[in-house]
Amino acid sequence: MNPVLEVRDLAKAFGGIRAVNGVSFDVREGEILGLIGPNGSGKSTLFNCILGQLAPSAGEVRIDGRGITGMRPCQLNRLGVGRTFQLLQVFPQLTVRENLILAGQEHQKSMWGRLIGRRDAGLGEAADRMIEFFRLSALAQEKAGSLSYGQQKLLDVAMAFMAGPRLVLLDEPAGGVNPTMLAGLRERLREINAMQRATFVVIEHNMEFVMSLCTRVLVLAEGRIISEGTPEEVRADPKVIEAYLGG
Amino acid sequence: MIALVAAPFGLKPYGIYLLSLWVVMTIAAIGLNLMLGYAGQISLAQGAFVGIGAYAAALLTTSGWPLWMAFLLAIALSLAIGWLLGYPALRVQHHYLAFVTLSFATLVFLMLRNEEWLTKGVYGISGIPRPTLFGWAAKAPIAFYFFCLGILTLVSLATWWLVRSPWGRAFTALRENPIRADSLGVDTRRYTLMAFAIGSALGGISGVLYAPLVQFIEPTAFNLNLSLNLLLMVMVGGSGYFLGPFLGAAVSVLLPEWARFGSDALYLIMYAIAVMVLMAFCPSGLLGLAHRVLKR
Repeated sequence: MNPVLEVRDLAKAFGGIRAVNGVSFDVREGEILGLIGPNGSGKSTLFNCILGQLAPSAGEVRIDGRGITGMRPCQLNRLGVGRTFQLLQVFPQLTVRENLILAGQEHQKSMWGRLIGRRDAGLGEAADRMIEFFRLSALAQEKAGSLSYGQQKLLDVAMAFMAGPRLVLLDEPAGGVNPTMLAGLRERLREINAMQRATFVVIEHNMEFVMSLCTRVLVLAEGRIISEGTPEEVRADPKVIEAYLGG
Repeated sequence: MIALVAAPFGLKPYGIYLLSLWVVMTIAAIGLNLMLGYAGQISLAQGAFVGIGAYAAALLTTSGWPLWMAFLLAIALSLAIGWLLGYPALRVQHHYLAFVTLSFATLVFLMLRNEEWLTKGVYGISGIPRPTLFGWAAKAPIAFYFFCLGILTLVSLATWWLVRSPWGRAFTALRENPIRADSLGVDTRRYTLMAFAIGSALGGISGVLYAPLVQFIEPTAFNLNLSLNLLLMVMVGGSGYFLGPFLGAAVSVLLPEWARFGSDALYLIMYAIAVMVLMAFCPSGLLGLAHRVLKR
């Protein structure tokens, strides 16, 4: 199966600090890849280099075989790449429904077509379905800023899927979410993965969440991949235990 | 709307002039509100675009061209220059952007003052004619007021459509979180430039009406004071509220005149204190204050 995402020798240095140091890996279609590592190991920097938020110092990124290094985030999004951020990123003054419509509207028609077209850009029903899918129906018309942290996190994740992306990079989706909501989030991600054949890369510190969700795990330490395999293989790798799990 | 149509009847020419000035300034403030209130881009150059529009109108109409030509020229010029002025906003924000636009406003003022061959410099341009529309001459104060009101209605409807369209939502996203907006496919560069271009064009339209309203223009009318005054209108009315510029322009244009009749010497001091208190206790302006009161 052809890889959806190919990362080759990617590096990013901040002055003398090599945050990402020659990382290479592939992500195959439909896969849920976990990316773990101690704080400061370069996970988020790696995400930001892949997604155009930071310019890599060296290396190459390909999506479906097409080089995307240097592309802007909005261009990548239109190629079918979604993401969430480590910190909560919703639009507090827009309602839950409007947040979701916004997350999909730039994929509808041209810029001028959207100006003269419908206010909801034809996405009202899709937004309602997404709201129902993420169990946010009671909050649809609430301003996103008035939601609890966990509810905003669900909305944040839901927004990444509004445009039906092929590949989604999730940066700590479980951070700050209570255990009940977390189980729901895991189920939603599994369902989307199965229904849409969407491919995920997930950064997460919650080991239980990663090990139960991901089909394969990469371990990053000091900007390098130190281990790779199934959750069970990674869990048993002495290098990981030494570098990350702390023995 | 009925009140606005009925308002000039029974007023003396100065009252009608003030009402017309309110209409003209509201259009420029709507443009600035689009940039600042909706898209989150500060500009201290809106007065300069009013100047560009006013000089386009004055130069063309005193040379015998019809006012609609001045509208076309002013819109084209303001759109293009506003678009270019948006480029610094792709790199810097907030007070840095304020200083970039402030410098531009100063540049325009200096050009209007120094390029005498074109603008007649400090002597100004007088005898600016008022338009005739399909045989209807908008020369009397009341007729010109209705002409301005018609343009304000068109501008308001277009802006209402714009801010309620997906573009309005993208502008809000740009204001609230440009990095997240970018990651969701919102071309933040293009929307930033669009906000500057459209907002500036409304400044230009305002200027095209300002010139025949006062019938004599000179550069100091468009110096930094006007830009700051327009910013005040947006902030006092309620930045990001559709009706904010209408209310802010009323406070800025009409209130000082009304207050002047009460206590001639103190009105500016009272006005300044009122603005300071409002901004300190309710930075979201009068409409923000009303919104807070109604929510309780």
